[in-house]
Amino acid sequence: MDAAPRAAHSYGMELRQERRAAERPLVSVVDDDESVRESLPDLLGEFGFAARAFSSAEEFLASDSVDQTRCLILDVAMPGMSGPDLQRELKLRRRELPIVFITAQREETVRPQVLEQGAIECLFKPFSDTALLEAINSALRLK
Amino acid sequence: MRSGDVGPCCLPPLLLPDMEVQSELASVGAKHLQRCINDLVSLLALPAVWSGGDPSQVLHTLLDALMRMLRLDLISVTLTDPVDGAPVEIVRLAERKGPMPSAHDICTALGHCSNNDSRKWPPVLRNLMGEEDVSIVAQPLGLQGELGVMVVAAARKDFPQQTEALLLNVAANQTSIGLQEARLLSHQKRVASELDQRVAQRTAELAIANEELKRELAERKLVEQALGKARSDLAHVARVTSLGVLTASIAHELNQPLSGIITNAGTCLRMLATDPPNVDGARETARRTIRDGNRASEVITRLRALYGKKDAAIEPVDLNEATREVLALSMSELQRNRVIVQQQLADDLPLITGDRVQLQQVILNLLRNASDAMSTVDDRPRDLLIRTELDENGQVRLSVADAGVGFDLHAADRLFEAFYTTKNEGMGIGLSVSRSVIERHHGRLWATPNNGPGVTFSFSIPCESEGMTRDGTRASRIPLASDGA
Repeated sequence: MDAAPRAAHSYGMELRQERRAAERPLVSVVDDDESVRESLPDLLGEFGFAARAFSSAEEFLASDSVDQTRCLILDVAMPGMSGPDLQRELKLRRRELPIVFITAQREETVRPQVLEQGAIECLFKPFSDTALLEAINSALRLK
Repeated sequence: MRSGDVGPCCLPPLLLPDMEVQSELASVGAKHLQRCINDLVSLLALPAVWSGGDPSQVLHTLLDALMRMLRLDLISVTLTDPVDGAPVEIVRLAERKGPMPSAHDICTALGHCSNNDSRKWPPVLRNLMGEEDVSIVAQPLGLQGELGVMVVAAARKDFPQQTEALLLNVAANQTSIGLQEARLLSHQKRVASELDQRVAQRTAELAIANEELKRELAERKLVEQALGKARSDLAHVARVTSLGVLTASIAHELNQPLSGIITNAGTCLRMLATDPPNVDGARETARRTIRDGNRASEVITRLRALYGKKDAAIEPVDLNEATREVLALSMSELQRNRVIVQQQLADDLPLITGDRVQLQQVILNLLRNASDAMSTVDDRPRDLLIRTELDENGQVRLSVADAGVGFDLHAADRLFEAFYTTKNEGMGIGLSVSRSVIERHHGRLWATPNNGPGVTFSFSIPCESEGMTRDGTRASRIPLASDGA
C-alpha cells in the first residue's frame, strides 16, 4: 500500500508540474452523496486537476461546466436523473465527455452496461486513489 | 382284645395254669397296650411334621410310620384329587421272605368287590393270593372319602387286631387332616400368588400408562417449544426478509462513508508529502474522515436496531421519531426507485406504548409496498406521502399514500392474508405479519383506495394513556411472540 501512493504521487507531481504552465484540466464530480462530494475535489486537486462538484445530474447540466469538463466522475444511482441517464442525455446533446462511473452498488450488470455505452471505467466504492487517477488519465489521453 | 391275638408264641390258654397265664397275659397285654399308646401318640404328633403343607411329605411320613408300627406288607394310597404335584398313588412294599402279591393284584382283588365306592368296601377282606392269606384293609380318606383311599395289607390271618384297627383309623384321620390342611394351604398360596400377580400386572399397567402420560407430556412440551420458536422465528423472518431486499441499499449506505474515508485519507497522505506539507489541508481531510467514520457507525447502529433478533420490548414510543429513522434508512432505496417522499409528521403527537422495533418493521413494510406499487408507473410522479396525526378517535394514526397501480377491490380482503402476494419475488408475509403486530398493539391496519391513483395504507394505535402501561399491568397486555396467543 505504501508503494502505490508514492508512485502515483510522483506521477501526480509530474502531471501537476506539467500543468502548472498550462491550464489545469477540469474534472467534474456528480454525486448525491455528501462524503464523496466533499472528499473528491481535494484529491483531484492533489492530482493537479481543477475540480467542481455537483449534487445532481440536473445541476451539472444547468451549469456552465458542461463544455469545460475534460472528464466526468459520475455516480450511478441518484434520485431524479441517474448516471446512465446523464450519459444518454449528453450523447443526445452531442456533448460526449469521457465518463468514469463510480458506484456503491455491487450489481454485476451495472459495469458491463455502462462500459458498453462508452464509459471509460466503472469503479466500485470504496476505490483507491490510484485506481481513480489511472481512470482519469485514460480518459484524458483520449482527447 | 380278642383271645389268640397276642403273637406267634402263645399257647392255647387252656394248657396254662390260670393264674400264670392270666398275669403273663396281663403283662403281655399291658406291654402291648403301652406300645399301642406310644404309636398313637406318634401318629397324633405327625401333624407337627406336616406343618410345611406339602401333600407328598404328608403321605411319605405317614406310610413310613404305618409300615413300621403295624408291620405291614403293603400300603397303597390313592388320592382322588391330586393337588399341586401330590402323587396320585403311592405304594410301599415291605421286604419279605416270600413272594407277596403285587399292588396290582390287591387292587384287582379290591376291584372285584364290584364296588368302586371305597366307603362300601368291607372293612377287612381276606384273600388267598398265592400261598398266603392276605388281610386287606381299606381306609377312606376324608370325611366322605373324598380325598382318596388308603389300602393296607398284611399277610397275617389275625390282621388287623383291635389296636391295629384303631391305629389305622387314627392314621387315616390324621392323614385326612394333614391333606386338608395341605390343600387349604396351597389354595391360600395360589390365591395369594394370584393376587400378587394381579397386583403386579396392575402395577405394570399403571407404570406403562404413567410412562405414556410422561411421554405425551414431554411431546406436548416439545411441540409447545417448537411452536414458540416458530413464532419468534417468523417474527425474525419478517424482519430479516426486508434485510434481503435492502441488501443493496445497505451496501450503498455503508460504502458511501467508506469511500469518503479512503479518499480523504489518500488525499491527506498526498498533502503531507508535498514540500512544504499542506498541513491545513491534511487537517481538513482528517476531520472529514472522522465524520464519515461516524456516519458509517450510525448506519450500522440503525441497522442493528432494526434487524437484530431482540425480544419484544414494551416502552413508550414516539412514532414520529421511529418514522424518521425508518425513512433515513430506506431513503436511498426509495430514491433509487425514483420515489418522491413527502413527510407530514404531526407536531405534539402523543406517545404510544409498544415495541418500537416491531412498529418500525410495519412502517418499513408499508414504505416498500408503496414503492413496489409504483415501480411500473412512468406517466406521473411517484409520489409517496407519509403522514402522522392524532385521529378523530384520539388514536395515533400513521398513513402511507402512494400513487401506484392500486389493488383490485375484489382482492381487498385477501391483502392481509398470509402468503398472499402479487409480487413475483414477494413472500407475502409482510402485510399479514404487519396486521398482527398492529393488532397486538390494540390497533387497526387497513387500506383505502385514493381519490386519485394509488392506495393509502393506515394504522392507528391507542395513546399511551389508553393503551398499555409500562409494566404491562393492563388487563389486556400486548401478547408477545412467545406467548401462547
